[in-house]
Amino acid sequence: MTCTNIDDGILRAHLDDELAGTELAELSQHLASCANCRARFEKLSAETAQTGDLLTTLASAGDVTAINPAVAYGQFRSQFGTSDERQASWISRLFAPRWRPAWGLAAGAVVVAVLVGVSPVRTWAQRVLAMLRVQKIQVVTIDPTTLMSGSEPDSRPYKLVNQFIADNVVVTMDPGKPDTVSSVAKAAQLAGYRVRTIGSLGAPQSIEVNGEAAFQMTVNRDRIQMLLDEVGRSDIRIPESANGALIAVHIPKTVLSMYGDCPARHGHTISDTPSRAEALAERKMERMASMNNTNCTSLIQAPGPTVSVPPDLNMSEIAEAALELAGMSPAEAHSFCRTVDWASTMVVPIPRNTSSYETVSVDGVEGTLITETLTQGNRYSLLWIKNGVIHSLAGHGNSSDALALAASLR
Amino acid sequence: MGSAQTLNRSMTLRERSSKHWDEADFRVVFLQHYTRIVGILVRLLGDRSPAEEVANDAFWRLYRQPSLQIDGNVGGWLYRTASNLGIDALRAAGRRRQHEEAAGRLVDQGTATGPLDDVLREEKCRRVRAALAAIKPAQAQLLILRASGLSYKELAEALDVKMSGIGTMLNRAEEEFRNRYLALHPNKEDL
Repeated sequence: MTCTNIDDGILRAHLDDELAGTELAELSQHLASCANCRARFEKLSAETAQTGDLLTTLASAGDVTAINPAVAYGQFRSQFGTSDERQASWISRLFAPRWRPAWGLAAGAVVVAVLVGVSPVRTWAQRVLAMLRVQKIQVVTIDPTTLMSGSEPDSRPYKLVNQFIADNVVVTMDPGKPDTVSSVAKAAQLAGYRVRTIGSLGAPQSIEVNGEAAFQMTVNRDRIQMLLDEVGRSDIRIPESANGALIAVHIPKTVLSMYGDCPARHGHTISDTPSRAEALAERKMERMASMNNTNCTSLIQAPGPTVSVPPDLNMSEIAEAALELAGMSPAEAHSFCRTVDWASTMVVPIPRNTSSYETVSVDGVEGTLITETLTQGNRYSLLWIKNGVIHSLAGHGNSSDALALAASLR
Repeated sequence: MGSAQTLNRSMTLRERSSKHWDEADFRVVFLQHYTRIVGILVRLLGDRSPAEEVANDAFWRLYRQPSLQIDGNVGGWLYRTASNLGIDALRAAGRRRQHEEAAGRLVDQGTATGPLDDVLREEKCRRVRAALAAIKPAQAQLLILRASGLSYKELAEALDVKMSGIGTMLNRAEEEFRNRYLALHPNKEDL
């Protein structure tokens, strides 16, 4: 070894006792005979000692001897799920396909966020319908004065949510513009299933068939958390387990039949974003129009969409966050979410102060009748599921009007 | 790390179709590495609770990365990932503090209130962390892992670099660190 092939790296390794064998022997020999390299070694040694001293200070920060890894493991497991009782299902999961379809509102926490963001609460029922396949419907009441549910569509929270959707949602199947058809038979032909009509109202004024749609998104927890921070809800936590989860939604063709004097409708799909401001203004007008159109009754038929989520996604936790965002108290959201079977339930949030709901018998099954009290009179939304198809009958009037119309369905 | 390697091989066969580790194997790895990982993170973050939070994050990531991605060196992967996450958290905390200081909201650093020695040591720790947050993350990572007692061999494995290059890398990182420390606290005291 000579001075030229002894760099500070080797000296450093020697200082750290990381040299061995011939390398160590040769360097020791050289250092013993070379005052110059010895001086370099001393200088390096002094510098390293200074830094080492500073970095060693950090060791005082916390005593890790008290850590019990077994206890920590228990905490880890309770925080991130997969407790022992779930272990059995793990084995079956190994043999299951990677994606298992699951249904429910929570499946798309994001879907919920979408809904909160895109439309005012009073049209939630219909919007939610377009998203999820379900076997039963459950209503929750939320406080409409909270930030997300109370603000106008052009306010900042809505804009943030819309931006978030634009950045994170990928439309994999564009439904295109709805097909306006002239007859029930034509609608059935397009939709591929039987289209029903409200007998007592005669022929529908218009029938629209909405094309198949699909979209997916990958949950970016940091981004969602950032969004929550921005809307002033840093207290809502998105579970870590949701991060990176791919949520895929497929919506079959839906049929919308309108009776009476109804406002012209436009298909507001997620892909439909030519101009955000324009769309928002349009939506606002539409909403005002529909409020004044007391003579309009609509029937939506929507075969349950499929929502695919990773099997290990904790939907209950996500739903909790979503419901909190929509205006439920954390305690309410928590206790509610514990009672819901997220695999099969569609949850419809309604504003607490202006709406009420009841369970009714309709079309041979159990349905949910939501009544909203407006200054112009009551507005109802009757929801039920028959043969896997979600039905929504909405119009102005009281609950007996709704039930009478439903009874004349054919 | 040898036992982790053996264990890893047994996993490869079973877990190929899974998104997760086998539970029993994962537990072994957790128990084996947890204390040391938290130790590194406590140095970086100064407190048990954020350190444990970041450690859990690292283990959760590991859990969701079955064998193939780990390529046989679980320990190395964990040290790399945990220190990365820890440095991210440290830098984020620094940015937050700057922000709060700028807004004049931060009155108290919440440092030790005990004997003077403790207070001084706490202050020194804070400066060391600030300097670590200010240098390149890769250099901070090298320094914190070395200070936590990783050998050159372990460092080389964790950071996927040649063992013969570690000495030079350490020298450079320390120089950066010293310069930054002095730049941040020029008149307070000597090193």
